[in-house]
Amino acid sequence: MNTVLNDTTRRATFTWPAWGWSLLGVLAVWLCIVAVRPGAPFDPLVQALSLAPFLVLVALGQMLVITLGPGNIDVSVGTVISMSSYVSVAVGATSGPVLGLAAAVLAGLAAGACSVVAILVLRVPPIIATLATSLIVTSATLLLADANRAGADAGLRSFVNAKLLGIPVIALVVVAVTIVVALTLSRTRFGLSVLAVGQSTRAAERAGIKVKSITASSYLICAAFAGLAGGLLAAFISPSTVLGTSYMLDSIAVVVIGGTLISGGRAVPTGAWTGALFFVLLSGLLNLVGWSVGAQNILKGVLVVAVVVVSATATGTGRRSLARLRESLIPLKATNKETIHG
Amino acid sequence: MTTTTPRAARPALTTRARVGASHGSPALLALVALIAIFTIAVVNQPGILSVTGLTLMLMSAVPLVLAAQAQMIMMSVGDIDLGVGYLIGLVTVIAATALNDNPILGIGLLLGIVVVYAILGLLVQKRGVPSIIVTLGMSFVWLGLGLQLLPTPGGAAPEWLSDIGRWRPETFPAPLIFIVLATLLGWFIARRSRAGARMRALGSSAATLDKAGVSLSRTRVMAYMIAAVLMIVAGLMLAAQTRSGDINSASNLTLMTIAAVILGGGNFSGGRALPIGTTLGAVTLGLITVLLSLMNLSSSLQSAAQGFIVLAVLAGRIITERFTR
Repeated sequence: MNTVLNDTTRRATFTWPAWGWSLLGVLAVWLCIVAVRPGAPFDPLVQALSLAPFLVLVALGQMLVITLGPGNIDVSVGTVISMSSYVSVAVGATSGPVLGLAAAVLAGLAAGACSVVAILVLRVPPIIATLATSLIVTSATLLLADANRAGADAGLRSFVNAKLLGIPVIALVVVAVTIVVALTLSRTRFGLSVLAVGQSTRAAERAGIKVKSITASSYLICAAFAGLAGGLLAAFISPSTVLGTSYMLDSIAVVVIGGTLISGGRAVPTGAWTGALFFVLLSGLLNLVGWSVGAQNILKGVLVVAVVVVSATATGTGRRSLARLRESLIPLKATNKETIHG
Repeated sequence: MTTTTPRAARPALTTRARVGASHGSPALLALVALIAIFTIAVVNQPGILSVTGLTLMLMSAVPLVLAAQAQMIMMSVGDIDLGVGYLIGLVTVIAATALNDNPILGIGLLLGIVVVYAILGLLVQKRGVPSIIVTLGMSFVWLGLGLQLLPTPGGAAPEWLSDIGRWRPETFPAPLIFIVLATLLGWFIARRSRAGARMRALGSSAATLDKAGVSLSRTRVMAYMIAAVLMIVAGLMLAAQTRSGDINSASNLTLMTIAAVILGGGNFSGGRALPIGTTLGAVTLGLITVLLSLMNLSSSLQSAAQGFIVLAVLAGRIITERFTR
């Protein structure tokens, strides 16, 4: 994908793709499920394909934000999903499902705008800014939940449940979105700018990239994807105040498991799919063997930590990324000071 | 302590006073905010100017102050702990279950948390992984453990712990004592001890610390372990007040502790630890929460109010920094 960026390592005839490990994970978990419950081996895969697209959507947005470099993360996606599920249903009840989805995306954008203002104008580190946004969004969700008792539109409901040749339509749609995101990252000025900012913010700035507007767009896209996922989930499951809660950690985990560097600068859109399928299948397997919610949380947390630790060693960028994380968290003033001394 | 010490390494009083003022000035914002909030509270509810009133007002700030001191130590080495909220929830769960039924197992579990934090510190130092992601991942482990131990809020805290929570002297508000003790503890660790100086050095200039021959891993592990102990004490104090265990009882503390450290003059880049400012920040945020409930704000709006206040505080911080430099 980004052959230009590290062509020295890509000269070998075959390189192990960044999403390869997660694909192996998908296959391993699938084999476990088939072993536990033999017969109809493709059923769990189709089931996973109908649940995974929502997670992929959120993870693609999260991937853009994480790719911006150390310190960049959006922890408000979970609450944004819950809020936009209500928005989608409330607007959808009066103006039709398409406008409902549009309103859900707009609600996501509004939350994203709140984070962007906090990050760029108030210079709050992204993690705190998005945490504060998620608190504000939580209140909005609770207010919407009190006000609205509508159900999802029947047309939208049948769309998210529709199947084409046995494959969920929503999965095909999200595959198309993934391809668009992948092409944007590898071909367009915006996508390459995101990668450049993630590799070295200062170098990107010197090269004339408008870092602020790239940052703002990435957070807005991430929030819009979360809003869209929430709007669709409202029809697939049903609106609830805790609908998106698990998506916060899951989206980060999926991005990391999929091979995207947590230190930024390398995005792997394919990995969002393999990571999401791995996660959905894993939680299906755990439900099958009767693990409690608590135990599943423990496993997820350990898995995220393990993958981050292992991938930091594998790529050898860990130490540098820590230095850059520090750098990124210091407001502009300190970086200026550094340039004067250097 | 005094300028007459013969050691040449000790700078003159005037220099130290100036450095102290320039380092401490960010905490002034917290002091001003605290006085403002307190005045608003007194005008709204004159009843709080009694020992009982102050006790009720400050009670919720005790765990917050302790947790904020822990977060301050994490932030002084340049890391952020996003697991604070659920870890404190887990400690209340352990206090209400294992610590009551089987004290040895309970103490073992609490020690286990310290060991896990030591390992996290080592991982962050050796592997260079961002502390934000590691502690975020761990927060789900704490949540899972808490749900396994106690799926619904309940249990009962041990008698000795409840006694601490029930202790109400007539002449002064008990929470004030705990807050002052916590501040002194944080001040001693971060500003007075050798370990504290090393932690701040690790946050501001790790390379220098390394050249000085100090083990970076040992310093970071020490910081993580001290932070874990402080968070456990915070959880025990919370359990002493609520007398039960609930994994979700402290989930909003994560953001509150970070905001308290920042409001108290700390920064995200590390190298700075201001225990008194941190306490002022934590008490201010605690009072705001109480004030919001006094003002009959609907419960759905309370989290938004908190979010806005945190953003406003951080914005205020940036404005004051522009003026002081």
